[in-house]
Amino acid sequence: MRPFDPRLVRELPQTRAPVAALGLLGAAAGVAAIGQAFAIAWLVTALVGGGSLWAPAVTVATILAVRGILSATTEVTATWAGARVAGVLRERILGRWSRATADDRPAPERMLTISTHGASSVEPYVARYLPALVAAAVVPPLAIVTLLVVDWSSALIVVATVPLLPVFAALIGRHTQEATQRRWATQTRLAGHFLDVMRGLPTLVSYGRAEKQADQVAAVGDRHRIATVRTLKIAFLSSAALELLATISVAIVAVWTGMRLAWGNLDLQVALTAILLAPEAYWPIRRVGQEFHAAADGAEAIDALLADVPPACFAGRESMSVRDLSYRYPGANVDVLQGISYAVRPGLTVVTGPSGCGKTTLLELLAGLRTPTAGAAEVPRTHLVTQTPFVLPATVADNLALGTGASPAQIAAACAATGLDRVIAGLPDGTATLLGDNGFGLSAGQRARLGLTRAMLSDAAVVLLDEPTAHLDPASARQVRSVIRDLARTRPVVAVTHDPELAALADAQWPLTERVPA
Amino acid sequence: MKPLLQPARRIVPAGVLGGIAVACGVFLTATSGWLIVQASTRPVILTLLTAVVGVRTFGIGRPVFRYWERVISHDGALRDLAERRTETYRSLIPLTPARLGRRRRADLLTGVVRDLDDEVDVQVRSLVPLIATLVASVLAIVVAFVLLPVAGAVVAVLALCAVALGVVDGALERRGQRDVLAARGEVQRIAHLYAANTVELQAIHAVDDLARQLAEAQAAAERAARRQVLGRAVGLGGSLLLTGLGVGVMAYAVSGPLGAGALAAPVAALLVFLPLALGDVLGLVPDAVGALVRARVARRRLVGLVDQEPAVADVARERLTPAAPTLRLVDATASWTGAAEHLPPTTLTLAPGEKVLVTGANGSGKSTLLALLARQLDPSAGRYEVDGRDVRTVSLAGIRDLMAVVDDDPHLFNGTVRANLLLAQPDATDRELDAALVHAGLGRWLAGLPDGLDTQLGTGVRGLSGGERARFGIARALVSGRPVVLLDEPVAHLDRPTATAVLGDLMASADRRTVVLVSHQPVLTEAFDRVVALDASPAPPLPSSIGGSS
Repeated sequence: MRPFDPRLVRELPQTRAPVAALGLLGAAAGVAAIGQAFAIAWLVTALVGGGSLWAPAVTVATILAVRGILSATTEVTATWAGARVAGVLRERILGRWSRATADDRPAPERMLTISTHGASSVEPYVARYLPALVAAAVVPPLAIVTLLVVDWSSALIVVATVPLLPVFAALIGRHTQEATQRRWATQTRLAGHFLDVMRGLPTLVSYGRAEKQADQVAAVGDRHRIATVRTLKIAFLSSAALELLATISVAIVAVWTGMRLAWGNLDLQVALTAILLAPEAYWPIRRVGQEFHAAADGAEAIDALLADVPPACFAGRESMSVRDLSYRYPGANVDVLQGISYAVRPGLTVVTGPSGCGKTTLLELLAGLRTPTAGAAEVPRTHLVTQTPFVLPATVADNLALGTGASPAQIAAACAATGLDRVIAGLPDGTATLLGDNGFGLSAGQRARLGLTRAMLSDAAVVLLDEPTAHLDPASARQVRSVIRDLARTRPVVAVTHDPELAALADAQWPLTERVPA
Repeated sequence: MKPLLQPARRIVPAGVLGGIAVACGVFLTATSGWLIVQASTRPVILTLLTAVVGVRTFGIGRPVFRYWERVISHDGALRDLAERRTETYRSLIPLTPARLGRRRRADLLTGVVRDLDDEVDVQVRSLVPLIATLVASVLAIVVAFVLLPVAGAVVAVLALCAVALGVVDGALERRGQRDVLAARGEVQRIAHLYAANTVELQAIHAVDDLARQLAEAQAAAERAARRQVLGRAVGLGGSLLLTGLGVGVMAYAVSGPLGAGALAAPVAALLVFLPLALGDVLGLVPDAVGALVRARVARRRLVGLVDQEPAVADVARERLTPAAPTLRLVDATASWTGAAEHLPPTTLTLAPGEKVLVTGANGSGKSTLLALLARQLDPSAGRYEVDGRDVRTVSLAGIRDLMAVVDDDPHLFNGTVRANLLLAQPDATDRELDAALVHAGLGRWLAGLPDGLDTQLGTGVRGLSGGERARFGIARALVSGRPVVLLDEPVAHLDRPTATAVLGDLMASADRRTVVLVSHQPVLTEAFDRVVALDASPAPPLPSSIGGSS
């Protein structure tokens, strides 16, 4: 895995400012850390030499105050950058998906995971790992170059030992990889057990198995502890080995400068600067390794979030017709629709045919939500009312403005036309009533009328309806049929239906025949 | 529940070991300073060797003690996690399902798992570093005091200032924590809505509306995160500021005795290096404080959940084992919360083998009715009788053993197909399992499985479609052999042809069982003996009884 994916800044201009800010702050913090080494050395030399402490002490306090301000600013910036980058990536992928057809999107569960937790895991990647990466890229070279100027022989020791850190890390990694991988599967299974049992708790309780699982939870928890500690020991050991390596390297510098001091070949202030600079070449490299573990999920998620999704092309034609249209679901081995040709005329067209012959799929093709496998569909802008019209957990007015941008006056007129106004009159807060999970529940008939009202408000050239009268009681179905009739006077309406009374009102019939699966 | 801050076993020793590791780091820096200054006085090499030994000891001691601390602290924390998980799991059993909310219980339970992780994080991320910082600070104070009393005072003041800084950091973080959680939750909610309804949103050209809502929610989350991080920023920035002041003050404090000849120059250097090294240690405090703040919020949620009264009283011991019970509600009402009434007084008799469809809009009490029948709730007024006995006079398990409940999201455990079915009836034979799957319409699915009943199910192994999951829940109910099957919106997520097919298969295989199906839309009404409409809207016409009970 690459330490930093350049596509992040190349493809998303909005991420450049936060990433650049982190880079600048990291560089400034590096310079301040180098300055601190000089200031402390100055202070101690002045102290030992009996000189005035005022200037060096104020310098030390000032440099540390500057480092404090830089560190606080970095924290705030990193958090902002994390939230911003994760947000931009989330908006990007959701935007791409919602402009593509169903055929080019991943499975729904994967879409959910990537856009919720996947995007959130980018936050620690940006907020903690990136600053560590910047520090690792800036501080060690800066420290080494400074050390070269101050005391070149100490610098040589550092130059010779710093590369050992990544080499050692790689060696340890390769050596422990097999053991880690061998345990990974077991550990993942054990770690997932509790979540699995908890999510299934209602099922376990319902079948009287919950008490029996409690001992299992305790036993698996214990096995998980043993397995995890075994894996962690490897990680801790390698981190201890790297720390020891860094410490020994710094100690070599200290002993070398100490020896030269004792021989009288070195100035005290130079020696102090050298031993204070040397550690700055090592710790940023170790820290980036530590932070990477926490950020690995984020790095993986970035890859998924930057995925390329081809946008659907909406032709935006004047009229609607299909020629030799075929469609096959991804992964299926037979076409659900084959060689369909039809031209939609003004008025109400009903699509009829037995269950499972692909009527809903046809509507989705007409709406441009799927890409035909073969043939062509010429479609203008459409508005598709799905079988269960979509209701957002928001107010009635919000739901009617959804995708239509309708004003309150337009909404009122459309509601009067479809009879939704009578439904609204019965709601506790009128059009301000909250719908959805935590709000008011609409009955099937009320929901159907809401969907039709929204269709009426939309500026689409053609309205597509999927089983608009299914599940409705006779009175509601009657009202809905009359609304559909009115709607069909304003623009072409294509309705998939099993309802003979609706079919009887149609200006044209579009029969589909069933394709027997092989 | 165990107190949040109660150290788990081995956490205090781990903290002390961590303190020794940290102190090694502090003394490593300090002795290095001593070594360099001592060397500059050009002493006999032998005196330098003692300092070299010191540097080497502290240099080796730091990684060794840190390794030791990490192993035992993680072991202790994981043991604590296992214990708290088991304890929480046990205390949730009597609260399941009625006290876990009415929808998305699996998501709530996932939240419990995360909260427990956050709670236990306190052990390794807060207690160990705080104890370690304390131990290292005390050691540094003692050493400084022995070398020069006023230096000990300087280090002590520095440590006290760090404590005050930690308190300020914590207060600032705590203030922002709730807003951050709320704002993040809103982002997740909208992203979920957006990703889960892409087709529906495209169909009505509402994609841009959701994109706008998401952008607003994310901007709010960004603002909340920036406000909250102020605490951490103050903590980290402040500790560096304190370090600078500490070094400066220490230099002044030692310059007097040094000038008077009461203090050797190398020791003076050591004392100046001490606050500098301690500053690195104090930088650990903000992380510890952050973990503590997260854990307290998680803890509050857990306590709110676990400290509830069970929704059903399990007092009687007597069991009922009728093969075909008659269920009867008499003017029964019920409530999920104890405050509002969620089911109007209802009288309903279910004869053995009867197939009943309950319909009504959201909020009309259908799910409450089902929960009452399943004895997930007790009636708040009126009675619920099974074969003429008031359910409160017989054991809870005895009633629940009569009912197979299928909800809208049947859980599939990680494990084999067989294990997933056997949990409903451990004694069932493979032939019975096969038959149940075939009856639930999963015959072809089963035939296509690579290892038949031994095929692994669950996360990351094999996905089931929504229809297959609903069918699996029904198969489980059939395997259980329980005489009453209660279904709560089992086909809510399915398209109509699939829903009809699933329910058709269920009715065909339910034979002598009583079936109560709750649905917000009338589906397959012709297969039921009776349709009970719970809201004011007119009920669909009742077909003549053609149910599967013949």
